[in-house]
Amino acid sequence: MPPIVEIENYSWRYLRAEQPALQDINLSIEEGTFVGVIGPNGSGKTTLANSLNGLIPGQYQGIKEGTVKIAGTEVDAYKPGELPQMVGVVFSDPEAQFTAMTVEDELVFGMENLGLSLAEIRERLDWVTDLTQLKPLLEKPPYEISGGQKQRVALAAVLAMMPRVMVLDEPTSMLDPVSRKRVFDVLARLKRESHNTVIVIEHNLENLVPLADRMILLHNGRVALDSETGPFFRQAATLEQAGVYPPGGIAFFHGLMQRGVYTGEIPLTLDAAVAALEGLIENRRYE
Amino acid sequence: MNKTLLGYVPERSPIYAIHPFVKLFFLLVASLFPLFISAPEWNFGLIIFVLLLMLYSRIDMRIMRIYVPVAISMASIIFLAYVVLGGFHPEFIEIGRLLGIRVYWERIRDAIVVYFRILPMIVMMVFFLNTSRERDVIVAMRTLRIPFVVTYVFAMALRAAGMVIEDFGIVRQAEQARGFDTHGKSLPYRLRKYVMYMIPLFALSLRRAEEFSNALIARGFAFTGPASKIKRADYVLTHYRFTRLDAVLTALIGLAFSALLVLRYGFGWFTLDRSVFLPRLEDLLLHR
Repeated sequence: MPPIVEIENYSWRYLRAEQPALQDINLSIEEGTFVGVIGPNGSGKTTLANSLNGLIPGQYQGIKEGTVKIAGTEVDAYKPGELPQMVGVVFSDPEAQFTAMTVEDELVFGMENLGLSLAEIRERLDWVTDLTQLKPLLEKPPYEISGGQKQRVALAAVLAMMPRVMVLDEPTSMLDPVSRKRVFDVLARLKRESHNTVIVIEHNLENLVPLADRMILLHNGRVALDSETGPFFRQAATLEQAGVYPPGGIAFFHGLMQRGVYTGEIPLTLDAAVAALEGLIENRRYE
Repeated sequence: MNKTLLGYVPERSPIYAIHPFVKLFFLLVASLFPLFISAPEWNFGLIIFVLLLMLYSRIDMRIMRIYVPVAISMASIIFLAYVVLGGFHPEFIEIGRLLGIRVYWERIRDAIVVYFRILPMIVMMVFFLNTSRERDVIVAMRTLRIPFVVTYVFAMALRAAGMVIEDFGIVRQAEQARGFDTHGKSLPYRLRKYVMYMIPLFALSLRRAEEFSNALIARGFAFTGPASKIKRADYVLTHYRFTRLDAVLTALIGLAFSALLVLRYGFGWFTLDRSVFLPRLEDLLLHR
């Protein structure tokens, strides 16, 4: 099966910018993969997200080289309104994404744009409100719900459109830790229950790492590192050079590896870290 | 009470059983009534009627307090325009002089007539804003089969108003954090310094516009092309049912308006000549 996202020799420079925001990007993402994209500010993460959903070059002026294909078709070749059926985007600012007067209207808006029937809208609304636990908020207007709830609404609104690829551009950057966790809980459930391709651009690695099958590091508009999540965090030098610091647990085990104390896989979740540490202590006891 | 962008609506109200279209129809049609009524006592009666409707709808009547300054300002402006700056009219009856300015009975009468035409319209608007959520306005417009783009632009305007209010709060807090605060300062100072809020707010609005348009595109909305011609399911309308009562009320409002026109132009009702209040006021002012 061909990859759902294929990016070949892709470069993008915004009009009047001296340097390209993205340069020589080559990426291929298989359907159903959960990808984490990280990198310092200005590394081109949002430009990458906007390139996937067609906002670039559609809404921005600049010079494009190379190709960005979704399901085998170049993003420019999709007619207006077609690409959102393939690629759904959740932006970082929950405030600016709320386009309707109640939560329910917001969830329904995208589905109506796709021309779905009432029966299908009802069915998807039920599914998505159950997944994101938004049922009690359906009647609420945007000014009566918190930033975290708004972001879950934005996520649900995109999910309800059932795109094959979901791109989340720093979805939790404006949220408190509890709201952040709730958004990632939804993503975890989505990963378990559906076959969506999810691309999450995030600074907060604690929640992202346990879910990601693959990690991509962007630095100065280029792909600096691209591999499966475990091996990705072994490249500590490259990560530090790009100003990315792994979560505490990963950094701790990486330090142990460097000292030759630990030789196993780097644990990516807190539970795995606890288990690995217990094993390590147990082994030491018998030595 | 629940806050809306338009005002405050009661938690529960019998008026919620009525279709939003009927409420909008009442606002649009009944607001025309005062334009065809010259005798102020009839318009006063209309105000009482709407106030009773507000009571029935369980609107917290304390809300009216915030409209008192509006009513007083309106009265002052009309009084100034008609009575003080009304000009020299030898053909009118002069009832006295105020700081050397001639005060005519006809000008006072006209000011009262105009004021009592505007007041019911304000009260009706207050009634509408305090019984309708933003969604009701959208539903009413969609029921009227107003094209989706028009309805949606209206909805976006409401949404944008909410965002501007929220952004204004952010800008204000940011400026306060930097030591700029107009609190407790004189009005001219505050007006002069208002530009300090307006410039960042304008810049923020431009950014919001870009983000908002990106969000619309991400939701598959298109103003042009085949995607813009897709038949919409109008899901929001499924929450409302236009009942027999709604049909009756709509007909009654229409009939009342027709009756008003017939009585006004067919039988000369509601005119100044038929007024009971104005001749008495005239006698009082002219010491007859």
